[in-house]
Amino acid sequence: MNIAVKEAVRTAVKTGMPRLALLLALLLPFNAFAELDITQARIKNLPPSVPVRAGYLSIHNPAQFSVSIVSIRSEAFASVEIHRSVMKDGMMSMEPVDRLTIEPGASLQLAPGGLHLMMMHPVEATRPGDDLEIILQLGDGSEQRLMMKVIK
Amino acid sequence: MNRSSIVIVALIALIGGFGLSWYAHDSKPVELESGLWFGEQARALPEFELIDHNGQPLTRNSMMGQWSLLFFGFTHCPDICPISLQALADMHKAIDDADVSDAVQIYFVSVDPERDTPEVLAEYVHYFNPTFSGATAPLEALTPLTRSLGIAHAIRNKTEASSDYDVEHSAAIVLINPQAEYAGLFGAPHDPLAMARDMTRIVERHPL
Repeated sequence: MNIAVKEAVRTAVKTGMPRLALLLALLLPFNAFAELDITQARIKNLPPSVPVRAGYLSIHNPAQFSVSIVSIRSEAFASVEIHRSVMKDGMMSMEPVDRLTIEPGASLQLAPGGLHLMMMHPVEATRPGDDLEIILQLGDGSEQRLMMKVIK
Repeated sequence: MNRSSIVIVALIALIGGFGLSWYAHDSKPVELESGLWFGEQARALPEFELIDHNGQPLTRNSMMGQWSLLFFGFTHCPDICPISLQALADMHKAIDDADVSDAVQIYFVSVDPERDTPEVLAEYVHYFNPTFSGATAPLEALTPLTRSLGIAHAIRNKTEASSDYDVEHSAAIVLINPQAEYAGLFGAPHDPLAMARDMTRIVERHPL
């Protein structure tokens, strides 16, 4: 429900019907537009023979309540998971992370050597400069779309 | 001063001078900013035979007469391996002295031989720098080398149904000297500029 209404609000805004947008927005619970501020969304490119890429994000939660990312998908990849690189017994390994929770006003970095998106099996060959969309599924059931830049 | 005392003084000076230069050249430890220099503790590599990215053998003998930096990883590693290879590429670029960069050969050694064929390795290492080499070997040939270097690695969660599995590996970069001895170690996270200064210091102190 929320997602459908939010899409309708967006469409109304885009097509220049702000009053309709406002009316539709009243249908939503007060926190439904809780969106994360995401910057530096980038994917480190690798040659075509390698079917994995790491994605990095800088996330800030401007809301008064905590926001969780529970899953991520993208039409550009067969799967996207949240992983963390960890040092264990002198070896680096990766462990999956179920969800990311960002506290009110807090920031979280997905950066080289730590938390990152494990993006597997690109549907098409990726090239530096490409913009690829990912969709974050948030803990309240809503979704947030964003573009990630493929970097060399 | 008579002639024989002049000869003796000259001889002492000569011997002293040789001694000093020998001391400066070989015994004085190279202080590293970003790693460990083993100095006199450098130890010979065991004999090994890997296959390089051209399908050619890479042996202990291949490491003679050059400085070698070895990073052990696998291509299906999205985070740590690209960061480390990028750090090595940035280090290579940051070395101003061409005599130094030409004296250092960088190797990416895959501990995932099943997926990392020479063709895959060639494409992978050259993505970072066209002078980099890739190598791998079946685990039974690879493990004696990695064990002698203290580089741990293990394949995790491998099933017959899926080609997606994780490989745990040490993130350290190993330094081999021109006598094919294990001479030093750079721990992660890698600082490319500090490594460039370290490699310059090492190669200039011990020219080929």
